[in-house]
Amino acid sequence: MFNYTFQWKQAFARLPQMLDGAAVTMQIAILSMVLGILLAITLTMFRLSGSRILSAIARTWVEVARNTPALFQIYMMHFGLGSFGLHLSPFLSILLGITFNNAGYLAENFRGALKAIPETQTRAARSLGFGAAGAFGYVVLPQMLRIAFLPMTNQMVWAILMTSLGVTVGMNADLYGVVQDLNALTFRTFELFALAAVIFYLITKIITIGARLIAARLFRY
Amino acid sequence: MNHKFVVGLLAAAAFAAPAQADKLDDIIASGTLRCAVVLDFPPMGMRDENNNPIGFDVDYCNDLAAALGVKAEIVETPFPERIPALMSGRVDVGVASTSDTLERAKTVGMTIPYFAFEMAVTANDKSGVKSFEDMKGKTVGATAGTFEAIALEKQVQEWGEGTFRPYQTQADVFLALSQGQLDATVSTSTVAQSNVKTGNFPGISVVGKAPFDIDYVALFTDRHEYGLLNYLNLFVNQQVRTGRYAELYEKWVGGDLPDLTVSGVYR
Repeated sequence: MFNYTFQWKQAFARLPQMLDGAAVTMQIAILSMVLGILLAITLTMFRLSGSRILSAIARTWVEVARNTPALFQIYMMHFGLGSFGLHLSPFLSILLGITFNNAGYLAENFRGALKAIPETQTRAARSLGFGAAGAFGYVVLPQMLRIAFLPMTNQMVWAILMTSLGVTVGMNADLYGVVQDLNALTFRTFELFALAAVIFYLITKIITIGARLIAARLFRY
Repeated sequence: MNHKFVVGLLAAAAFAAPAQADKLDDIIASGTLRCAVVLDFPPMGMRDENNNPIGFDVDYCNDLAAALGVKAEIVETPFPERIPALMSGRVDVGVASTSDTLERAKTVGMTIPYFAFEMAVTANDKSGVKSFEDMKGKTVGATAGTFEAIALEKQVQEWGEGTFRPYQTQADVFLALSQGQLDATVSTSTVAQSNVKTGNFPGISVVGKAPFDIDYVALFTDRHEYGLLNYLNLFVNQQVRTGRYAELYEKWVGGDLPDLTVSGVYR
C-alpha cells in the first residue's frame, strides 16, 4: 500500500541547490581525507617511535575512532566541546569529526600495510646510506601508501557518506542538509531523497573509478 | 422463484463488488488508529518518567480513537519523518503539530486547524538579544523541518547577515542555545516556556514574541482520503464545540485559548 504520486518535476527544479550541496559535501570529504592522511601518518610514526607516551596516544586515538559511532564523534565535536565553551561551527564540527574518524581508520590501514613490507627493505635502505627518516620517507612510506591505496579509497567513499551526519550538528549546506531543508519545505520526501541517493552514488562511483585510474598510472611496474 | 436461487442472489449482493473500502473503513475494521506524533515537542508530545507518551497531541489522538471506537496507537515520528511514515502506511493520521502550508498541502491532505501557535524568541542571556530585531546579524537556529525554522531561515536571508542553523531536535536547539553556540532561537511560545521551565538549559530566557504569522497546525492524512478528511474536520469542530479543546489546552498549556478561526474568510 503505497499511496503516493511521484512529482519529479518539483524535485528536479531543486537540482541546482542540491548540486551546490554536493560541492560542499565534496569539499568536506576531500579536506577531511587530506587532514586524515597526514594525521594517520603521524599516528603511525608515533607507534613506530618506540616512545611509550606517543604510542599510547596513537593507540587511544585509534581505539576511540574505530570503536565508537561516527555520529557520536561528530556530535562530541559540536556539543561535547561546546559544553567546555569551545564553539565550532557546524562546518568545522563535521570536518573535524570525520577527520578524527578517518585518521583512526587510516592509521590502522597504514599499520597493516607496514606489516606487509619486509623489514629487509629498511635494512637495505639503511645499508645504502639512508638515515632512519630517509629510509622511512623514501623507501617504506611510498610502499605503505601503495599497499594502503585501496583502503584509502574506501575511506574516502566512507567520508563522503558520513557528511550526511552533519545535520545532527546544524549543518545545512551539504547535500544531505540541503535535501532535508527542501523536504521540510515541500514534503516531497521520496523524490528528493531518491535524487540525493543518485547524486551520492555518482560521486562515489566517480571517485572509485578515478582512484582505480590513478592507481593504474602510479603503481606501474 | 427457486429458494436456493434467492439465497444465492442475496449472498452475491452482499459479497460481490462491495463498495470500495476507504481508509476510514480500514481503520474502523482494523480496530486500531495509528497516529504519527512527535514526542520531542513538549507540551504537544513528550514522554513521562515511565517513558509513556503524553501531551496534547497524544490526548488528541486518544480522543479521536475513542470517537472512532477503536484503540489508539501512538507511533513516535520525528518531524522530518512524518510524511514517509504516512506514505509507507505505518500511520493512518498525523497528529503531529503540522503547519498547514500550501506547499505541503500539494503532497498531503490537511484538515482544518486543530491548534495554533504563537512564536517566541528565546535568547542566551549573554548574547545581548532582547527582542526579535536584535537577532539580526547573530547566529540563530531552530528545529529542522518546522514552520518557524522555514520562516527564520527566510528572515535571515532577508536581513542578509547572521547565520541560520537547523538542528534535528528541539532538545539540541536548546542545548546549543544554552551552550552559547546559538545566540537565539525562535520556537512556539509553548515549547519555549516549557523548556525554560525545566531548568535543563541554564542561562536562557524568553525575551519576546516573533512577528511571524500565527502558525495554524492541522491533522493530516492521504490527500485523496476525503472520507477520512471529512471525519477529521468534523472531529476538530466537535472538540472545540464540546469544550474538550479548551480542557486539553488548560491541561497542557494554560493561559489564553488560541482562536482557530480566521475572520473574513470561510475555512
